[in-house]
Order: sequence, then structure tokens, then C-alpha cells
Amino acid sequence: MSAVLTELRAAWHPVAAGTDLPPRHAFQGELLGRELVAWRADDGFVNVWENRCLHRGVRLSIGTNDGTELVCRYHGWRYASRSAGCTYIPAHPADAPARTICNRTFPAVERYGLVWTGEDPVGEVPDVAVLEGGHTDLRHLPFDAPADLVMAELGSLRFAPVGSPSGEPVGVDVVEIGPLTVALTASDGSAESSVVVFVQPVDAAHCVVRPVLAGVVDAADLRAVRRHHATALETLRTSVEEIARTLPGPEPYEVLLERAPVHVADPAPPVAGRTAPLRVRVARKWRTSAEVMAFDLESIGDPLPTHQPGAHIDVHLPNGLVRQYSLTNGPGDTASYVIGVKREPESRGGSVALHDTVREGDVLAISEPRNNFVLRRDSPRTVLIAGGIGLTPLLAMARALHRMGAGFELHIFARSDEHLPFADVLETLGSSVHTHLGLDPAATGVTLGELLAEPASTDQVYVCGPGPMLDAARSLAAAAGWADEAVHFEYFANTTEIDVSSTFEVSLARSALTVTVPAGSTILEVMRENGVAVPSSCEQGACGTCSVAVIEGQPDHQDVYLSESERARGDRMMVCVSRARGDRLVLDV
Amino acid sequence: MIRLYDWELSVNCYKQRLMMGILGVDYESVPVDFYPGREHKSPEFAEINPLGHIPVLVDGDYSLRDAHAILVYLAAKYDPSRRWYPVDEPELLGETAQWMLFAEATTNTASAARLHVNLGYDFDIEECRAGAHRLFRVLDEHLWFRERDGLGWVAGAEHPTIADIAIFPDVMLSEEGGISRLDYPALRRWTDRVRRIPGFVVMPGIFPVGDGPERADPLSIA
Repeated sequence: MSAVLTELRAAWHPVAAGTDLPPRHAFQGELLGRELVAWRADDGFVNVWENRCLHRGVRLSIGTNDGTELVCRYHGWRYASRSAGCTYIPAHPADAPARTICNRTFPAVERYGLVWTGEDPVGEVPDVAVLEGGHTDLRHLPFDAPADLVMAELGSLRFAPVGSPSGEPVGVDVVEIGPLTVALTASDGSAESSVVVFVQPVDAAHCVVRPVLAGVVDAADLRAVRRHHATALETLRTSVEEIARTLPGPEPYEVLLERAPVHVADPAPPVAGRTAPLRVRVARKWRTSAEVMAFDLESIGDPLPTHQPGAHIDVHLPNGLVRQYSLTNGPGDTASYVIGVKREPESRGGSVALHDTVREGDVLAISEPRNNFVLRRDSPRTVLIAGGIGLTPLLAMARALHRMGAGFELHIFARSDEHLPFADVLETLGSSVHTHLGLDPAATGVTLGELLAEPASTDQVYVCGPGPMLDAARSLAAAAGWADEAVHFEYFANTTEIDVSSTFEVSLARSALTVTVPAGSTILEVMRENGVAVPSSCEQGACGTCSVAVIEGQPDHQDVYLSESERARGDRMMVCVSRARGDRLVLDV
Repeated sequence: MIRLYDWELSVNCYKQRLMMGILGVDYESVPVDFYPGREHKSPEFAEINPLGHIPVLVDGDYSLRDAHAILVYLAAKYDPSRRWYPVDEPELLGETAQWMLFAEATTNTASAARLHVNLGYDFDIEECRAGAHRLFRVLDEHLWFRERDGLGWVAGAEHPTIADIAIFPDVMLSEEGGISRLDYPALRRWTDRVRRIPGFVVMPGIFPVGDGPERADPLSIA
């Protein structure tokens, strides 16, 4: 690679005006021969990515910016703002995409009304002193001419300074203030104006000239000033392009096409147990209902990993306990995760620790998000049913469906208005939210029966709440004719008594290892003692993280994660609590 | 009912489908085998349009040919708001007519390039492409200045006109003719706005863009 190109790749370049990225728009750009898509999420964050879907290479700039995700036009793959991680693959609607499916991102900074990025930029976006006192955006123009030719010709730009008595264009003083940046100053009598011109190398034969006028122009003069500069630049373009046509075409820039990143080509082995690789700071802690505290957990350093509606994290608490909490916020919110914690004085102390001892500013260790409660996004009608704090995963789902304009209903059962968490978020979801307050178990059952009556074949229902309510909803759904696969549920905890009395043998097929699981131990524990890694989270048969494929033998299911039909199939089991019916199991581990 | 002599892949027929979709006008599409059948050049079709091209619109006893003329008729007859073809506002009407002629030029360059690439029409492709780029430069600058005035459409009104409909598909399908829109960010934003007009319909290559920032007011430029 030439020294010039190496230098250009290490520099910051403007690739768009800030106003080129209005909400819900996908901007198409190019820098040094690489096509880019730039888009602003609803929270204002500017994303600059390689302009191709990882799936079939279609330009993402023809896709849809839905405010937190960019959706490919071709097969609907969705990518989250900030991380560019894939959050949904419509062809696999019931699966969570692997976290390694992640588009190439480039850094983005807004300064002087421009969006800056670079291949591999070093340092900060350069300071331009003359623009620090305010600036006015002018019209940018693409030139069919190489950047260095345009740089050489910029000195022949002529314009009238703002407030010039004659209004006639005059010649300019040229000061080169950066490799592709010049300050042009025009003076006429006492009037003087400076325009800083940034030249963006699109490819070897094209560039975009992005002028910024120093100082703030009176609103009344703005249109005339912009017209004047647009005309002046157009005049220059005509002459420069004429010169460019006489020159031999330049050598194209060499574009570095990345090989698959190491983590994709050579994935790390599954992580054993409950690891907590992420550190977050409690940015905000607030009471969101009578018994629920909300925590905004912001990343320290790198953005947090991409997550999908339904995902949860393990939170490692100061008292040594590990608890699972669903993420309530959207896929593009990788700056922080928001969880809701109900105070459960009767429990073993996880929620009490979060309520009473964790304060704003504290640092917590958390796991990467996992999604074992995957939202299908292809149903014309999705019914979300929450019991109390069971709202948290469904809130993330409702937000995603609402943004997509998909048909959904969110039903929340709570004791009273004071017991409704995240009321401010619920308000943004409009008429899709229905609250059912103060119902006794019998009345809850009647209402659930009404909600679940007469399902269409494409309907999907997601339920999260206390065990008895969930059990009731599942049996009512089955009685009303819901297909097992259309009923999705997440229990807070597994309250069934675990029978650990059996002793059996487990063959771990991939590990070529056979171990004995004695009474009183779990498969997970014995595997761990033998150095075999399986990820786990709740370790009580509720969350689905330690699901393992069964090759031979009959599992003795003791979890509350699998549905009846999944249990009957017997091809997966939760190794944290489930055991063998016979004396031997063969697992795909 | 209105009959439209129609071909799915024709930009000029799509302009009518789009206009009638937006105005909520019911019509019946009469498919013409434009390619490869060349039905529009058949003796039978000559009785419908002696010039041998589509679209042709038949509304009761009334028959009209030429895409941009049909847009004038549809808007004048079926838009009670009188904004799509603003006959009561002379300045705006003049601008609308001016941009309708511009649309003739985009059709003869950008859409001609597409016919050359897709159907092998014998046009000077380089001249078509260069001509389209000249027009797109003008339109991009025009729309950029309109945005600075808080306006989002080719004519200087707060509401779109038939000129937006006439130019839109030539722009949207330009890449099929090898004409990139990379250099025209204001033009690309305007295509988002057109696609958010209530009643918008698609054709192959022209897809919806999703909800805008202002669902309540889809015609706002934001």
C-alpha cells in the first residue's frame, strides 16, 4: 500500500453532514473506496458501518432504520445500533442469533456539523480554531475529480465575504491546515470571511468538498449566503472536472477486505459455569413501583454486548449471590442495561441486597446477556402476559414490537396502580397496553381464559410471572387450543422439589469421557469437576442456559424451562437439575 | 371502473398506480405484455394508442395516453383537496408544470438507461447516464435548498404534487440503469418522504422505507 494511502487510512475524514442523517434514514456514503452506511438511532447515536449485510452482501443503505435497528432489505436481518450485532434472523424466528454475527463498525464523531469517521483513525478529530467560535453549514458538492487535484485548485475559488459592500466574488488567501483541509479567506473592504474546506476522498477519482463557513450568519442572510457559496463552488467544480477529464484516470485505492474475524473463524470454547466478564456501574437507581427498584447499569469502557428482547443477565451481588434479571431496554441500548428488581424479603437475599445495599456509582460484575426466551417477530398478533415483575422481559419485547409496528397486546396483572413498574415506558406503548388490577386468583384465571380464547394459528403468546399464574396460563392455553410451540413462558424460579436421589452414569460423547453422577450431586457439578465446560446461569432449572442435547437415554426432567412437548421429545435437558430415568445417558457434550 | 393498460415493470405505468393508490382511486389493471411480447406494438393495441406505448387510461368513455398527462387528469379529477395539481395557485401550478417537464427528462435519461440494461433497448447508454447525473445534481441541490426552507417536495409547497410522483420512480430505479445515487443525499432523503405518503404502493425495485419520525404527520420533512 502506498504511503499516501496509509496516511489517509489513519486520518479522520468527514463523510456526511450531520443534517444528512435525519431520524429513520439510512445514508449511503463512501470513503477511500469502501462503501459505508451511516444512520442515526432515535437516541441520537450515529452509526457508521460497512455497507453490506453479512448474509448476502446487499447494501444496508437500502434497508430500514427503525430507530434502534437497521433492517436489511433482502432477508430482514436486523442489526443493533452501536454494536452492529445481529439481533434477529427472520428465517430462524425462534432462535437467538449468535453474538458473533456482527457487522464491521467504524468510529463516528460529529463535529463542525459534519460526521467524521475513518478506516483506522489515530487520535482525535482535528481541531479547527477558526470554527470554534461558531460556524454555518454550506452546501457540500461531490466532484468527479481526485482529492489531490481539488486540493490544488481550491485556491481559485472566489466568493464575496459576508457583508461585503459590492457582493462581488473576490480571490482568496489559502492556508493549508491539514492534509485535506484548507482555510480560504476572502476580504473586501472591512468585510472578511473564512471558509474551511474539508475534502473527503470518496475513491481515487472522486471526492466530496465539504465547506464550513466560520462564524454564525444572520438568519435573514442565510439563504443568500448559502446560494452564493453554492454557486461559487459549482463554478469551481465545472473547471476542476474539465481538468480531471484531461488527466489519465488514477490507480484505484486498494480496499482492505477483512477476512472473517478471529472470533468467527475460531470460536472460543463455551464458557464454563456462571462467569461474569462484564463490569457495569449503577448509573441510576430509582423506585419504579411500590416494590420494584430499577437499575440503569452503564458500561465501563467498551459498549455492552448486543442483546435481544427476552434476554437476561446474571448479576453477581456483593453478598456473593448470583441472580438473573431480564433486560427491559431495546437492542440498540448497548450503553446500558436497565433491569427491574422486586424486593422479596422472603427470598434468600438477592433482591434485598440490590434494594438495600447497592447504590448509585457501585460497580457490579455481570454475565453477558443470554436469550433463552426468544421473541418471534413474524406473528401478526403477539399476546404478552405479565404477572407483576414478570413484566421485565415482556417490556423489552413490547418495545421491539411497537417499534416494528407489529400487532401485539401487553396484559399486565398487578395489585394496584402503585404496583405497576415502568409506568413511564408503558405510556409510550399506547393502546396496546392493558392493565388488570387487583384481581384475586379466581378472577385472574377468568381473565386469562378470556385473553387466551380462540387463538389464530399464527398467534404467539409469551407469559412471565409467578409460578401459579404461569401454570394456570399454560393449562388454559392448552385447553383453548394453543399449539405448544406458540406458548412461550419464563418462570422466575423453579419451586419444584428436586429429587437428587438417583445414581447414574453419563457418557459425554464429544469429550470421550464417562462419569458417574452420585446421589446428591448434579450432572453439571460432576461435569465441572471433570473439567468439562457448559455455560450455566440460574442453576435451578428455570432459565434454560445449561440446555444440552441428549443422544441416548431418558432424561428425568426436573426443570420448568422445557414445554410438555419438548420434555416428551427427550432430546434436550437442563443438566443443572435434571437427571436420568435409567442408569445411563449419552450427552452431546 | 377506470382501466389502466399496464405493465408491472414499467415506471410510467407505476406512476399511475402510485397516484391512484395515494388518491384512493379504484381501477382495474389491464396487463399488456410489453416484454417480450411487444403487445403494445400490435395492431390490436394500435386502436387503443396509435403511438404504441403504455400507459393508457380509460375512464368511462374517456381515454388518455402519456404518463404525465394522465397524472394531470387523475389529480385534477380525483383530488378534492386540489393540492396534487394545484390549479388554484398559479405560481405553484407553474412550478409543477416545470418539474413535470423535468420528469420527461429523467424518464428519457435515467429510465432509458434502465430499459437499455434490462431490456436491451438501443440507447446511447453513456449519454443516458451522463444526462441523468446532470439532472440529479440539479435536483439534489434544489431539494437541499428546499429542506433549508423547511420544505420537502420538488414544487415549493408544503404538500407534494404530481411532479414528485412523476420524477420519483425514475430516481428510485436509477441503479438498475447503472446510475448510483451515492452523490445525492438530499435526493435519497426525498425518496424516503415520497415512500411515507399514505397510500404509497410498491413495484419491483421500489420498497417501503418504514415509519418516519412523525407518524402523525407523514408529510413533514424532518
